[in-house]
Amino acid sequence: MITYIGSENIISPLGESATENFERVRINETGISLSKGIGVGKEDLYLSKIKSIPENNKFNVLLAKCLDSIISDSSANLINLKETIVIVSTTKADIQENLDTPIQHSIEKLKKDYNLQNTPLVISNACISGVLAMNTAHNYIQANIYKHAFVIGADVISDFVLFGFQSLYAVSNEPCQPFDKERKGITLGEGAAGVLISSDSSAFKKGPLEFVEGTSSNDANHISGPSRTGEGLYRSIQKTLELANIPSADIDFISAHGTGTLFNDEMESIAFERLNMNNIPLNSLKGYFGHTLGAAGLIETAISMQSIRNNTLVQSLGFQNEGTSGGINILTENLNKEVNTILKTASGFGGCNASAIIREI
Amino acid sequence: MNYINSYCHISNSAIKINGTISNSYEAMPIDEVIKAIYLSLDLKYSKFHKMDQLSKIAFLGIELMKQANPEISKYGENDIALLFSNSKSSAATDIKFQESYANGGIPSPSLFVYTLPNILIGEIAIRNKWYGENMFTVSNLFDAKYYAEYANILIKKSAEAVLGGWINVNEDKIEAFFFFVTKKDLKQLNLPLNTETLDKIYKGV
Repeated sequence: MITYIGSENIISPLGESATENFERVRINETGISLSKGIGVGKEDLYLSKIKSIPENNKFNVLLAKCLDSIISDSSANLINLKETIVIVSTTKADIQENLDTPIQHSIEKLKKDYNLQNTPLVISNACISGVLAMNTAHNYIQANIYKHAFVIGADVISDFVLFGFQSLYAVSNEPCQPFDKERKGITLGEGAAGVLISSDSSAFKKGPLEFVEGTSSNDANHISGPSRTGEGLYRSIQKTLELANIPSADIDFISAHGTGTLFNDEMESIAFERLNMNNIPLNSLKGYFGHTLGAAGLIETAISMQSIRNNTLVQSLGFQNEGTSGGINILTENLNKEVNTILKTASGFGGCNASAIIREI
Repeated sequence: MNYINSYCHISNSAIKINGTISNSYEAMPIDEVIKAIYLSLDLKYSKFHKMDQLSKIAFLGIELMKQANPEISKYGENDIALLFSNSKSSAATDIKFQESYANGGIPSPSLFVYTLPNILIGEIAIRNKWYGENMFTVSNLFDAKYYAEYANILIKKSAEAVLGGWINVNEDKIEAFFFFVTKKDLKQLNLPLNTETLDKIYKGV
């Protein structure tokens, strides 16, 4: 049985649909800009911040916009069915407004507002949450437990998260430069994205792609530093390729995690080199969207799906000079070529790693 | 068909293995419970002491499970999937981290790294060198249907076994439950993995 994926959407500073976001990314425009006096020591810092949506209730607004967009891009009323599940990916939800009961209110609200038959499943697994949420949807569909999954992910910028990353000296004082020699850390972003994953190809208004396979793996090494051998990422990609029964040579493009920290990007380069995937064109989209945590995997997948639909790979913004010991083929300019099969990867705190393969039908 | 091979409850006043009390005491505060279990297991694991309460309890729960069922330690490094949930994510540590920088204080990096609930999966993976699947979900109540369905999915797909856990620390109350699922009924507990059985043993009825 094929798992179909489509109806992708993105809400970011670059726009409120996948096509709008892709058009802006295609001309290498970034959502990152300087915010005055926002750091823990009131310093100016770069953020990818959505200014068109009010701060109050922003997380819930983002989730609702994502669901509305999938609903309008699906061919029938699927959201209220017994065989439909909503899967929500987030790391910190509305923490600025709800410190002691995060997520719960938002989920109850979704269930009520959309008259859902099943309680949404909330995945909170650091920065791999978005990819894990798609993998979970695929697994449910293959097991015949649900027929349709509305997968949505969102995170918003808060003092909590910004100060936290600053306390780890992980925030760049310039827009982030994933994989570059001069990279200095992350740029925090906010946003949301969603996809419909279904066993039924006619569920989509516009032609879907195939979600082939996805897995996760732990580094079993350190809770806040990535493995020096890229162990978990290596194992997850290997397992995904194996279950998908796809040789690595068939991958046309890698949408990497590429946060812009020294250790993360180095780790990824080592994992890709160990897998002999050095020559496959690769990018990180963090230079356009910043690091959007629980939304990142979904935003980057949605852009990669647009790359398949448009046969255009986009430049890895912020990268100029090679700065990792594993050799990788980073896109220094947009590339028009036939794109059939893509690999999406993600890594996060807690030593977690995930990967997924999507291809054209 | 997959089977629950062992399970464990931790509360403020007792440890139960496979439904039977293995240790009971006057109800104690969380840190006292943690200390008592750590000492009883005779562990020498320096990383333990920097963990937050949620990770400590998850870590100790898995150590108790391994002691009660040595089969767990015989599985290969890619074989065991870790499937954990709770109702409040990392709220207890989130509050402490927020307090560290409120009123102009310096945000604490050692607290910040524990403000993600899946960190406890990382601690268990590091301790045991387990490279398998990871998943942390947040739900209001213990969702036996989710655990049973998803553990069965993971075993059918790629895992040989699943370690599940539900861990909440609320104010000074611990609620923790762990279970181990494999393809065979190794311990002859006669507990096939399904929603009803899992719910029953979780509730201890």
